[in-house]
Amino acid sequence: MIAALLIASVAAGTALLYAALGEIVGERAGIINLGVEGVMLVGAACACAVGAMSGNPYFGVLAAALAGALISLVFAYAVVDCAANQLAAGLSLLLLGLGVSALIGNPFVGAVMPGLPSLARMDALVALVLPLTALIAWGLWATRWGLQLRAVGENPTAAFAAGCNRRRLQYQAIALSGMLSALAGAHIALGVAYTWAEGMTGGRGFIAIALVMFARWNPWGAVAGALVFGGAEASQLQLQAHGVDVSPFVMNMLPYLLTLAVLPLTGKRGRLAAPAALGRPYRGVE
Amino acid sequence: MLKILICVLALASPVRAQDKPPLTVGVIYIGTANDYGYNRAMKDGVEALRKATGANVLEAENVPESAEAQRVMAAMIAKGAKLIMATSFGHQEFAFNLARSHPQVAFVHAGGWMLRDNFGNFFGATQTAWYVLGVAAGHMSKAGKAGFVAGVPIGYVIGNINAFHLGARSVNPKFQTRVVVTGGWSDKVKEAAAANALIDQGADIVTMHVDSPATVIQIAENRGVYSIGFQSIEARALAPKGWLTGLGFNWGPYMTETAQQVVNGTFKGKMVRLGLREKMLVVAPFGDAVPQNVRDAVDAAAARVADGFTPFTGPIKDNTGAYALRAGEKMENSDMGKFDWYAEGVIGRVK
Repeated sequence: MIAALLIASVAAGTALLYAALGEIVGERAGIINLGVEGVMLVGAACACAVGAMSGNPYFGVLAAALAGALISLVFAYAVVDCAANQLAAGLSLLLLGLGVSALIGNPFVGAVMPGLPSLARMDALVALVLPLTALIAWGLWATRWGLQLRAVGENPTAAFAAGCNRRRLQYQAIALSGMLSALAGAHIALGVAYTWAEGMTGGRGFIAIALVMFARWNPWGAVAGALVFGGAEASQLQLQAHGVDVSPFVMNMLPYLLTLAVLPLTGKRGRLAAPAALGRPYRGVE
Repeated sequence: MLKILICVLALASPVRAQDKPPLTVGVIYIGTANDYGYNRAMKDGVEALRKATGANVLEAENVPESAEAQRVMAAMIAKGAKLIMATSFGHQEFAFNLARSHPQVAFVHAGGWMLRDNFGNFFGATQTAWYVLGVAAGHMSKAGKAGFVAGVPIGYVIGNINAFHLGARSVNPKFQTRVVVTGGWSDKVKEAAAANALIDQGADIVTMHVDSPATVIQIAENRGVYSIGFQSIEARALAPKGWLTGLGFNWGPYMTETAQQVVNGTFKGKMVRLGLREKMLVVAPFGDAVPQNVRDAVDAAAARVADGFTPFTGPIKDNTGAYALRAGEKMENSDMGKFDWYAEGVIGRVK
């Protein structure tokens, strides 16, 4: 039971972790992106399309990453170059992603997908997620690039004065973030569901955004958060299968109850941890 | 969820040397037509109609169960549709609104109850037919345990689960059916996790009542357990090793007949619930894993159901030990939405 629950939590949490890592990178650079869900869907659709056409799931995953980065550049142009409102631009990206993914995925509804090969129910994307977390944590805190990126997110004016290229750093952060969100979608499509369905990410992009706050913008915190949220989703189904005498309707509320329960815990200290210039369009130095 | 893309495809019919222009039929689907599931089955029926009658077919996919559906159908009527088929449960009231304002147009809706002279309702009597699938499961399960992934536990779904379970118990009196409810008709991630959880609990057969069986069947295949399908029997292509059988809808004959009635002017809205006997439901071809003696037993059960056998004849205990049906009590086809209990041996809760 415990082992099964852990495996199921990892399976459910992996996509959340990819998406949350992406959102952390973006938010550390001062960009809040509410379009994660849309980018995840584009990733899922491209993974299915290229996976089904080539017969190789890894080509699908690569295509997803590329597409995620590309579609995020539209968002980057709006918020970085045009100083558009990030919340509005993010929601537009969400809707764009919904439409684009439906268009890409439509011919592949019902197509037989090559699933990601797995060993002991771990596929390559599950295996890669922790090394990737370490790489991102190292990149953000141990490199000059990471320092500059975080500086842009805290105080773009000071970063500018110190000679950081804000525009380039934010573009990089958004592209990387899009890539990671798309990998989350690719994992859902080719690692979990083995099929394409419209809107198949089912709101997990929004849980990933909540998870970033829970994780206080720290990649390792996101690992814990993804296990907790993934565990909530997995346990409601595992407990039902186990025959626990609880209403299925109550069980289905579990992940959302948990989200509501943990967000107040992150409240005050969480706000302190947030990048200071998060969500604020930068209009240059007067 | 937001349904963004609505594609309306007008498929031209072959030109025929006739005085009367061909009938125009408008069809709306809740999802994408090729989902190996519910919508695919509807689409196959529409294709059969088109081939048989040469009708013009206007189709719209991903039509939500909202006022949007009414707009889409109104546009089809404006394009000359004389028969509208609204194929999802939640399209009912919107189609019915239009039926009131367009008495010259015939409407049929899948799975509801509302009726008018120009508004009929149709569906397959799935519950009794699920008994047949249960017989297959009872024979094939070594552990005597099946897993059932259910979308939303409404009465009709519970009825399907109960009939499946009673069919399995008719073979193996100790049979267990574990139920996991995902809370939605098309949440693939939860369907996958639910199927895995059921297999973790020892189920060696997995079946489902969700929009598309594709995910659950593929999980079962990957983990080396048997699967039984529902909605579209084409899903067997997804599980060459583990597929046992399944239950599919065969809407073609009904849809064709309805179109002919509209052309002849004899259409009248009525409640249509047909099953295995009328071939509105079909038992899917067996998978290679099913031996001949099991095939014979399943075919025999299907023949009994086609002859009017119903598993819902008392005495039947529910899974709390109380009598759900006493000796002599019986549930009719019209009662199938009323289930609020699981039969003895089903592991799960209805509410």
